[in-house]
Amino acid sequence: MEKPAITLENVKKVIGGKTIIHGLTFGIYPGEVFGFLGPNGAGKTTTIRMIVGLMSMTEGNIYIQGHSIKKDFKKAIKNIGAIVENPEMYKFLTGYQNLLHYSRMAGGVSRERISEVIELVGLKDRIHEKVKTYSLGMRQRLGLAQALLHSPSVLILDEPTNGLDPAGIREIRHYIRRLAEKESLAIIVSSHLLSEMELMCDRIGIIQKGQLIDVQTVNDFVQDEKQMSVAFTVDDIDKAVRVAAEQCHFKIVKTKSDGIELQLEKEQIPIVAETLMKNKIKLYGIESTAKTLEDKFLEITGGKEIV
Amino acid sequence: MSSMLRLIQNENMKIYRKGTNRIMLLMLVGLILAAGLILKLNTPSPKPHVNDSWKQALIKENKNLEKEIKKVPKESQSYLKKEIAINQYRIDHHLPPVNGLHIWKFVDLMTNLVMVIAIFTIILAGGSIASEFNSGTIKLLLIRPVSRTAVLFSKYIAALLYAVLMLVVLFIVSWLVGGILFGFNGLTQPYLQYHNGHVTETNMVLYIFKEYGLNGVQLLMYVTLAAMISSVFRNSALAIGLSIFLLMVGPTAVQFLSKYDWVKYVLFANTNLTQYITGTPVVSDMTLGFSIAVLAVYYAAFVLIGWLFFTKRDITA
Repeated sequence: MEKPAITLENVKKVIGGKTIIHGLTFGIYPGEVFGFLGPNGAGKTTTIRMIVGLMSMTEGNIYIQGHSIKKDFKKAIKNIGAIVENPEMYKFLTGYQNLLHYSRMAGGVSRERISEVIELVGLKDRIHEKVKTYSLGMRQRLGLAQALLHSPSVLILDEPTNGLDPAGIREIRHYIRRLAEKESLAIIVSSHLLSEMELMCDRIGIIQKGQLIDVQTVNDFVQDEKQMSVAFTVDDIDKAVRVAAEQCHFKIVKTKSDGIELQLEKEQIPIVAETLMKNKIKLYGIESTAKTLEDKFLEITGGKEIV
Repeated sequence: MSSMLRLIQNENMKIYRKGTNRIMLLMLVGLILAAGLILKLNTPSPKPHVNDSWKQALIKENKNLEKEIKKVPKESQSYLKKEIAINQYRIDHHLPPVNGLHIWKFVDLMTNLVMVIAIFTIILAGGSIASEFNSGTIKLLLIRPVSRTAVLFSKYIAALLYAVLMLVVLFIVSWLVGGILFGFNGLTQPYLQYHNGHVTETNMVLYIFKEYGLNGVQLLMYVTLAAMISSVFRNSALAIGLSIFLLMVGPTAVQFLSKYDWVKYVLFANTNLTQYITGTPVVSDMTLGFSIAVLAVYYAAFVLIGWLFFTKRDITA
């Protein structure tokens, strides 16, 4: 595999004698969308702030395209476009003036590039209006525009879909995927919307109490177990429970008002169905409920402190 | 260097696009106009001098002043002595005084508004640093390939440029208002400077610029103080409030405590450099050089503290 675009090496943060981040080590590769998942107060934002140099590290180092953010801030930060928490822009300036402001700080951003980015995030019609008249969704787009302005190779988005309507969320999601796949950006996305992460990310890192407790690809995350829950809708629940237990030797996960739910493998579904029908139980429906990221997340974090 | 110019350009854009900063400029112009009109309405139009009658008037005035000088306590005598000396100079050199206000007198009076400019610039400087923290925009501002030192410096320079603009506006507008309301015929008046019992004639423009310069030093000190407080506390209301409070209370408190010798090391005893030209210093053994040295030490401390807090601390806004 190629070199990672961002590398965190044993990054620690101690604030007032309290360790907030306990030695994070991971890398993110070009073309990859990395989901940073964790309950509030787990250290997501602190980590992001350390990556972009807003906060100092107590120990360890972070490299962006090989440049240390500690020692070589300007060279490192050049490669990053970011939104940290909310996309807070100057409300008394227009959207365009805001972009002009950041383009002057980056250097080498042409007017054409500004127009291009405005077009890209779909703000062309309102760009010359003051930001205070913008909706949260529009501010989010403007935030994305300022992050992309200097064509960075690393994009960091803190809660990028916050405040967007469903159509906007889908658009941003497609956009993020496109940036990663077509332009090979390394993208870090943080969110507590698990369903969002599942659709957007390639890999997910779960952070809890300042520790990275698991990093997996989304597919592994959801499908690492062959077992799945299958719900059988039946008329006689008691009988179905008895039959399933005595004749199929399956563990019943739970009984529902209209049927039973079993934990089994794919090949076993027809066997169970056949057995039930043989015992004159009316079978109305079979539904497999794949384990979602949310179930997995709850399992890993122990279901506590989840927002 | 060009990157610094671009940063200052950014700060200027933020300054002049903000309604409050433009309103402050208008307020300054409004204040000069209002002061001019009030003075115009409350001073009788000057009568032209008949022959040498003004000389008799001045001789009479000096006699009265000399009687008065014996009655007043020692501290107040220096002012009267100055009046007498200047009157005498006018008599000796055939320089009739202009009755009532004239253009330069008005411009000179309006130099008091430099304090208003100081307050406006404090509001601007205190706000320009802290408001980035209050609004959260500091995060997007500091994740650019620009050092924090450069960002802070550009804000400081932009605030001082704003003050310079206000000073230029003050000079031009008060000159025009003074000329229009009180006539341009006072233009040739020299400034009579009194120093150690001697009266010397100097150019009025030079004198006014000197006033501006000395008041400008005071402005610079307060603005730097405001910028430092803003950088340390990251709160615009606190930075502006505290700086203006100190500007109001400081000089008075220093006057109250002037019997103690240590007062001469206090910032506020030294900020007003015009005390060496027009009045008497807060503590009698203070000199201009001493004040400049004290101010330099304070200035360096403000800059260092403000810079350390801005560049070294984590951004948690």
